[in-house]
Amino acid sequence: MKLKGMVSLLLLMTLLLLPAPAHSAAAPQRVLLLYDSLAKGTALAGNVAELQRLLAAYSTKVTLSSLDKYEKGVLNSYSKVITVINRSDLSITNEAYLKDIADYPGQLMYVGYNTPGPMKQALRLTAAVWPGGSAKLSIGGFSGIDLKVEEMPYIAASQAVRTYGRLSFQESSLEAPYAVSSGQYTYAPYLRQGDSSVMAMAYVLKDWLPSSAVPHTYLVLREIYPFSDLDLLEKVADRLYQEGIPFIASVQPVFGNTDFPAMERYLEALKIVQSRNGTILVNAPAVRPPINSNDYTLHDKMNAFLNVLIKNGLAPLGAGAESYWSYDKEYAERGLGFFDSAVLYPDEEVRYMDQTNVSKTFASSLYSLTTESLQGLSHTSHAMPQLPVNTAITAELPEDEAGINKLLQTLEQQWITFADYKQGAHKTVTEENTVVSADGVVSVNGVPLNVDYVPEAVSSDYQYKEEQIRSFTKLFSVQNKFFIVVIIAALLLFGGLMTIGYRLYRKKYLKS
Amino acid sequence: MIDNNIVKTTLRQHMVLTGLRVSPALLAAFGVLLVTVIALFTAPYVGMADNGDFFRIIYSNGLYFNLPDYDSRYFGYFVKQFGIYQYYNENSSMLVSSQSLFIKLSLVINKLVFSKEVFDIRFQAGIYTILYVTGVYLLIEAVTCKMSRTRGMIVAALAVFIFGDTGYTAYFNSFFSESVVMIMMLFVFASWLLLYRKKYNDYAMLALFVVSTLILTTSKQQNAPVGMVISVLAIPLIGIRKDRIFRYLTAASIGLMMISGIATYLNISKEFVNINQYHAMTRGVLLESENPETELQSFGINEQYAILKGNTYYDQYGTVDVKAGILEKNFYSHYGFISILKYYMTHPDQMGSILNTAAKSAYTIKPAAMGNYEKSAGKEFRAQSRFFTGYSLLKEKLAPRTFGFILLWMAVVTGIYMPSFAAAVKQRDFRSMQRSMLVLATMLVGLSGIFVSIIGAGDADIAKHEFLFTQSFDLVTFLTLSSVISRGLFTRRKLPTAAQATPADTALPTIPTTDYAGPEKGVSV
Repeated sequence: MKLKGMVSLLLLMTLLLLPAPAHSAAAPQRVLLLYDSLAKGTALAGNVAELQRLLAAYSTKVTLSSLDKYEKGVLNSYSKVITVINRSDLSITNEAYLKDIADYPGQLMYVGYNTPGPMKQALRLTAAVWPGGSAKLSIGGFSGIDLKVEEMPYIAASQAVRTYGRLSFQESSLEAPYAVSSGQYTYAPYLRQGDSSVMAMAYVLKDWLPSSAVPHTYLVLREIYPFSDLDLLEKVADRLYQEGIPFIASVQPVFGNTDFPAMERYLEALKIVQSRNGTILVNAPAVRPPINSNDYTLHDKMNAFLNVLIKNGLAPLGAGAESYWSYDKEYAERGLGFFDSAVLYPDEEVRYMDQTNVSKTFASSLYSLTTESLQGLSHTSHAMPQLPVNTAITAELPEDEAGINKLLQTLEQQWITFADYKQGAHKTVTEENTVVSADGVVSVNGVPLNVDYVPEAVSSDYQYKEEQIRSFTKLFSVQNKFFIVVIIAALLLFGGLMTIGYRLYRKKYLKS
Repeated sequence: MIDNNIVKTTLRQHMVLTGLRVSPALLAAFGVLLVTVIALFTAPYVGMADNGDFFRIIYSNGLYFNLPDYDSRYFGYFVKQFGIYQYYNENSSMLVSSQSLFIKLSLVINKLVFSKEVFDIRFQAGIYTILYVTGVYLLIEAVTCKMSRTRGMIVAALAVFIFGDTGYTAYFNSFFSESVVMIMMLFVFASWLLLYRKKYNDYAMLALFVVSTLILTTSKQQNAPVGMVISVLAIPLIGIRKDRIFRYLTAASIGLMMISGIATYLNISKEFVNINQYHAMTRGVLLESENPETELQSFGINEQYAILKGNTYYDQYGTVDVKAGILEKNFYSHYGFISILKYYMTHPDQMGSILNTAAKSAYTIKPAAMGNYEKSAGKEFRAQSRFFTGYSLLKEKLAPRTFGFILLWMAVVTGIYMPSFAAAVKQRDFRSMQRSMLVLATMLVGLSGIFVSIIGAGDADIAKHEFLFTQSFDLVTFLTLSSVISRGLFTRRKLPTAAQATPADTALPTIPTTDYAGPEKGVSV
């Protein structure tokens, strides 16, 4: 136990001494991302979206376009171009693109099938297609990562200056580099969403988009709702704190009823999270199906929620959102415009409001990976090698104690060094407040934030319904009493008259 | 015609118009047809915009949204053309509704005469219009069958004013099941009234009554109580004829209607869709509660869900996706239709409060949330048609918005028809009881519309969910007004009864002279 504690302490100290990633004020690199097909319904579906996420993690401004829509001269506005060819049966027919690319002086990367002639010559490349089977991928500190492949393009031969990674095909003795580059050309034949080729591509991009920043890995807890088990959230925060693991809580925003006791309890739980070396990130709200896409109040809603957090001593340092949010003008500007830092998750259900093909960039952007996908990344060293890109390892909030134990066990097995998000430079600006973090210090409106938690009891006494304003209550009460007396008197009188009348009737007609 | 027949002018219901005899029913039907054709089939076409519900019914019927910018037209613009699936449709069992019968029929006609790739919703509107006009014809036949010509014509004009309102007929150019509800309710009402009047063949009317009740009950899940209410109140129908076959057939029909109600109810619990379930709690139980946390605890739900009080699925941005796993596991699984019903039964104050909320929208025929024009008409988003909407506007503006008024209205109507019912019971005249049973059944069906709406989805979408009530209100009010008109509102002159007619008047051979004389006594002004 003692040894474990010391290791944790050492890890924490190392992290505290880590330099913050330098955020240059310079304009982000611009990349033109062209594709022939999104390969929907095939094994390659989603590889373009994955590439978009990776490029976002390198803080590049991406312009996405299909090759069919490419117009003459567009290439000249970009210093870097990536072309993804997902169709093995079709070659590029857009003449404007073919002409422009022949004279293009910038950096060119190809992904997929049908490598063009000039690149083949420059790289002295022979490409082939592996029909299917399993392969092992080794790149960076990772080795022997299993890949299940089908119709996989690979580099059969090349005399390129630089090679990236190594693929060895199980059914034969064939070995091939994952990617090659020489001069202005880079070729990475294979990229598939959900397997380790994405990690290999991250290594290639790290070289292709030179960045001096040291990448870090962060732990992100997702799916934190106001109605999550808040006691369990506190327990998770406690356990992670005890283990010396800094983490990020990506919390769901609340746009109404923020004065309810339920909201206060939510805020109290988040304060505990923050006091346990947790960082608060605001997740994008759930977007309902596009039946009512004329709500332009996202900015006001997010602004109000952020201010509620800040007013309660919480410091939101960034946003969490599905990747497509950065390709939607409304969401990016009005929903994510408060933040210079974000974690971009894979798209689950895309519901654009005002789609654009140019991405919003963040000074700090994390590529997200689930804890499950880490299992497939085998490595020879005991500790997990440093990933090539700033990465968020995401886990959903556990549902019970057993879930907490399982999560911690997974993290321990992987031996990942998690960084503290607050060490980096992040900035959140609302209409009323500015939250900044740098070198582990968080300040709100220039005043350092005290994250110590002082428990506060939340009272359940709350008047949910406003009492209706009543006028003339006294008058009506007197009036009520008066009428009650009058009615009772009238009833008695009527009863009396009825009795008398009945008696008279009996006397007159029923003498017998 | 017999020249010396002194009562022929008061009893003859037909106007001779260029050689054509025009009865009040024909006039009303023609009036409604004319207004509907102008509204739905001439530019700018009037219809109803999609509120996000269409997909459920159209996918299962082999249609899809073929407009690339369809999403931008939700709520705002009516869309008249849809794509027809050209390949295997995997959504075939998405929603079970009798509405599919009409969509399928219009699809067949569309394919025969228009296109195999594109479906024009006006084919469906055409079918609905023909059925609706027939329903109006039968209704006016039943209502005016023993009125004088002038009064018959006044009732016909009133019918055009009420039932020709485009607030009703705009539904035909949409995939909302309200169209089916509207037509079938009209048929149920007319056929039941015609059974009472003994105007047409009883077997034919019974068949129409049963078929329309079955289609009405199975048109949407919300209508499950309709089949049950009608089947119970239709029991006296067994006694209207002495022949055994009729009695057996009626008894079997009653059983069938009850089963259809139960089957539709059982279907509810299976398909109590997330959106409605979400609203039932957030816009129902929690909305009017003094302490939402306590209410949630009584359902065994985490009190933190109180934060969702008042939230709707239609808000574009929310804390949680309605389909989220956390809601499935910790929220929806704790309550259903029955537990919410029980809750309201044990919290009458809250029920009163939400009933008043419901009463506020109970007189809206056409919800303002959905636009009526196509985008190409150049009108603004959600623009509402004002063509022939006098009745719906008047009703919405004038009707008192409290549940107390609904109860008062029910009490007054029941009071009006009670003497005739009591007289019929006294005479053991089952046929004469039918009008009161019909009025009671219609009012209960309307009430069920309100109750099911608030239990099933709180106050969300309430204007549309309460359609059944608003139509029931109109039918009963129309019948009552017609009864008043037939008795003479502004004159003290006593109408000659059918019994006084000269037997030699061959123009009225089928009108019975005694069967319905008793019940009319009950209507007094």
